Amino acid sequence: MTIFLRIWLAAGMACAVLAPPGHIVAADAKALNIVFVSPGKTGEVYWDMVAQTMQAAGRKLDAHVEVLTSERNYRIMQELGYGVVARADKPDFLILSNEESAAVPILEAAEAAGVKTLLLSNTLIGEDAKRLGPPRAKLATWLGDITTDLQTAGARMANALIATARAEKWQSPDGKIHILGIGGDEITPASIARNAGLKLAVDAAPDVVVDRMLYANWTQSEAEQVTANYLSWAARKEIRPAGVWAGNDPMALGALRAITAAGLVPGRNIEVVGLNWSEDALREIKAGRLLLSDGGHFLLGGWSIVLLRDYADGCDFADASPRVEARTSAITRDNLASVGDLIKTRRFDRIDFTRFRAKAGRCGRYDFSLDALISSLARADGAGE
Amino acid sequence: MTPDRDAQAAPRRLRSVVRAMIWATVPVLLLVQLLASAGVEATSFWSQIRQLDARIARTAESRAELIAEPLWKMRYDQVTGVLNEIMHDETIAAAAVYDDTGAAIARVVARPSDQVAEISRPIRYSNGNIAVQAGRIAIAYSYAPVYADTGGRLMLLLVVGVLATLATVVALRISANIFIGKPLAAIMSAIQRSKQDGRAYPAEISSPNEFGQLAQAFNAMQHTTSGALDRLGHMASHDPLTGLPNRRSLSERLVTLSGDAGSPDSLIAFCFIDLDDFKGINDTFGHDAGDRFLVHISERLREAVEPQDWVARLGGDEFVVIRPEVSNAAAAQAFARELLDAISEPIRLHDKQVAPRASIGLAVRRAGDPELSHLPALADIALYHAKSKAPGTVAVLDEALQRDYRRRRDLELAIPAGFAEGQFEVWYQGQIDLESQGVVGLEALIRWRHPEHGVIGPGEFLPLVERSGNNARLTRYVLTDACRALQHLAAAGRPDIRIAINLPPSELADHSLAAELRATCARFDVAASSLELEITEGSLINNIASASETLQRLRRLGATIALDDFGTGYSSLAHLRRFPLDRVKIDKAFISEIPDSAEDKAIVGVIASLAGTLGLTLVAEGIERAEQAAAMREMGVTLGQGYLYHRPQPLRDVLQWLEGQAVPESRVVAESPSIAPEFAA
Repeated sequence: MTIFLRIWLAAGMACAVLAPPGHIVAADAKALNIVFVSPGKTGEVYWDMVAQTMQAAGRKLDAHVEVLTSERNYRIMQELGYGVVARADKPDFLILSNEESAAVPILEAAEAAGVKTLLLSNTLIGEDAKRLGPPRAKLATWLGDITTDLQTAGARMANALIATARAEKWQSPDGKIHILGIGGDEITPASIARNAGLKLAVDAAPDVVVDRMLYANWTQSEAEQVTANYLSWAARKEIRPAGVWAGNDPMALGALRAITAAGLVPGRNIEVVGLNWSEDALREIKAGRLLLSDGGHFLLGGWSIVLLRDYADGCDFADASPRVEARTSAITRDNLASVGDLIKTRRFDRIDFTRFRAKAGRCGRYDFSLDALISSLARADGAGE
Repeated sequence: MTPDRDAQAAPRRLRSVVRAMIWATVPVLLLVQLLASAGVEATSFWSQIRQLDARIARTAESRAELIAEPLWKMRYDQVTGVLNEIMHDETIAAAAVYDDTGAAIARVVARPSDQVAEISRPIRYSNGNIAVQAGRIAIAYSYAPVYADTGGRLMLLLVVGVLATLATVVALRISANIFIGKPLAAIMSAIQRSKQDGRAYPAEISSPNEFGQLAQAFNAMQHTTSGALDRLGHMASHDPLTGLPNRRSLSERLVTLSGDAGSPDSLIAFCFIDLDDFKGINDTFGHDAGDRFLVHISERLREAVEPQDWVARLGGDEFVVIRPEVSNAAAAQAFARELLDAISEPIRLHDKQVAPRASIGLAVRRAGDPELSHLPALADIALYHAKSKAPGTVAVLDEALQRDYRRRRDLELAIPAGFAEGQFEVWYQGQIDLESQGVVGLEALIRWRHPEHGVIGPGEFLPLVERSGNNARLTRYVLTDACRALQHLAAAGRPDIRIAINLPPSELADHSLAAELRATCARFDVAASSLELEITEGSLINNIASASETLQRLRRLGATIALDDFGTGYSSLAHLRRFPLDRVKIDKAFISEIPDSAEDKAIVGVIASLAGTLGLTLVAEGIERAEQAAAMREMGVTLGQGYLYHRPQPLRDVLQWLEGQAVPESRVVAESPSIAPEFAA
């Protein structure tokens, strides 16, 4: 606790001292009361990190972020949501993630209660999207959503894989580069987008074939299993597997294990790419076994607080679009050093979220890139440590 | 006995129609049921096999669909999971999934099985972008459950079939018994009862079906049959001519006779009546008249008897009258005589008065006599006696008659043994030349040395021999013996002695006699001229033509022919002239009273003068006294025979006797007229 307090104080001092004059943090602006109902489990890396960045941003932007965890139970999530909406002392904003479309009833309840909502990571899809339309249409209190462009991420990952394979000439006897795709699932938008990115990239490369698109339920063990199955199948088909595209890091790690077990050396005669910026993945990148890990979307938590702070302060992000898309970035051996530590230590207070706020007159225009992040850290690093 | 056994055996061999129907029906029924069951089951079996094939194919296809995605997506654990699910199907023995490289991804073996079929289906995977064959699924499955199922059902059908057949048998049996067995039994029982007492019993069936009609027809037939049976019964037991009961009725009557009598000690008179010379009436007046004659007699008998008496005609001219109760034997005889008197009243036939005559054999027995059924035989013995001894009288059966009868029976039965054991002996009696007192011939006389009855004379047993048809045999026996005797005589130096043989009437009709005589003579090397054949007048009369021919032949052989017993019968002078005779033997009846009876002397004298005229040699029989011999000599009788000279003896004794006799002069032989030159060849 003392450490935490010290960090908090240091960050606060740093902010106060180093706040550029252009940045408006109105002294009279009131503190925001924000509640985040997390769909994830306690200990689930991504959602933990989302909540942590949210809270770190809140501390920077005078917002109190209350995190409620639904433990991967959508009924609990809905009950928590209803509870929040029904509170006498209603929060200023309620952040939800529409996983499995479970957030829709909460959105509607919030509309009825007049609680403003923001969807994070997963927005409305399918029937719900048609029925309720865009943000602030039927549901006036639904301010918008902030998501990441995971399709681009998927394509980026694939392209990196293809470039390496081409460079190393890992073609099979048929002259093609054979790749295995491992997706998390086939129904969640987050998964579909990544997979679509892979397809997009491969479609653009006539010398590349995705032998299989396998699904491993986001888990390492299942990914290891299907990768093993794929490798033995490929051996029987006399295919030289050039790379494994994994929809997230755990699955990439599972693929690594299977590859190793099959007698191949990842990084030398086969490449694997993942997504999520997980600690283990970064370790494998450092070891040269994993080509890259795309990601950074946990930062959506922080970015969402930035959006709501701006909104509360009158700079509505909807001026550009109520739908904010934050790009992800790949961590490779090249840039691992810059962000590796941040992720490993989860010292998100090192991030100067105030630097990401919209400039006056440019409401809704944000630069949430890795470079911007790195630059926001660089000084903090020097100052903080 | 035999028909009885047949009658009992027949129902045992009889197989009931109901059972025969069942035997005929049940195997067919059972066979059809079993075949039908087997057919249905076979169809069902193939259908089940096809269904199983189809089901497994569907399973394979549905599993292929389920497996396609996990297989394509290499979720081999899920593939195995899906594969494992189908193993709940107990027909499936094993299943395997192969990927597009042919490698077995999942393989499950549930149970080893022998009868295994296999089916394989491709596993096709497709999503929005691709459609590929991800691999294939193979399922091995067993027909064993189908076999077991079919076997079980076959067994069930078999059991059901057998039960159904049993039920059918029972139903068939019951209904057949009701509709067939019972009516048949009713008709059968009617027939049995009818058989037992001869009355026509109706079969009591009232059902309107075929058996009802059969029963009606049967009853109608019974009715007609009973009338016919009554008539038949009457005809069987009555004489159609006179309407009197017949011989068959007599047998029945005898059975009930003792019962009808008042007490066991009451006497029953049984009269056996035989008309004398009925043949003569038939011959004289014709058979129609003969029949009328019999009817007259029967009416008279009916009128003569009391109501309790019983009259029957046994056939021909034989009648029986039974009086069931008489006071004593005398009363019975009186009754019999009354009957004779009634019969003897003259009858007019063809405008001629005929006086019927009958003989009656009477037997009287106690009603309690256990041998009552022998009454006809006993009365017949008496009748035989009456007819042979005193025709036209009543002969009462007594002890003597019965003894005679038994002796006759014994002798008659002993004749074959007599021949076989050589009991018949031929004795010889000498014939003497009354002038020279020398022996000129011998008469062969048959004797029966019976082991029990001693030596029996021919008068007693010859009729028995004749009746038993042994005349010819006896004649040849005597002939042979006579030839042998001639041999002995020749050997003894008396070839001049002839031997006379008696020929019974039947022999005269036998054409082979002459040939046999010659053969026998040749065998013993004796001359036929040494034989004399004695015949009676009676035998000539019965068959004049045949007898004459036979005699001619015999005479041509050289044998002498003598007419025996002349004077007692017809004594026809014409016969003496017509037949080729050499000698005439005067019956001893005329000799015995000589010389006292003047009449006899006159008769013999006439015969002698007649014979002299005809050139016949006379022989006097039965000479017992010297004065008889002298009288004969005086009247011109040449030869004599009798106890005065010689009693009949066996040949051995005769030969001895001859030794003591003087050899007569050859004159006698030379004078014999029998050796007429014209016949000697």
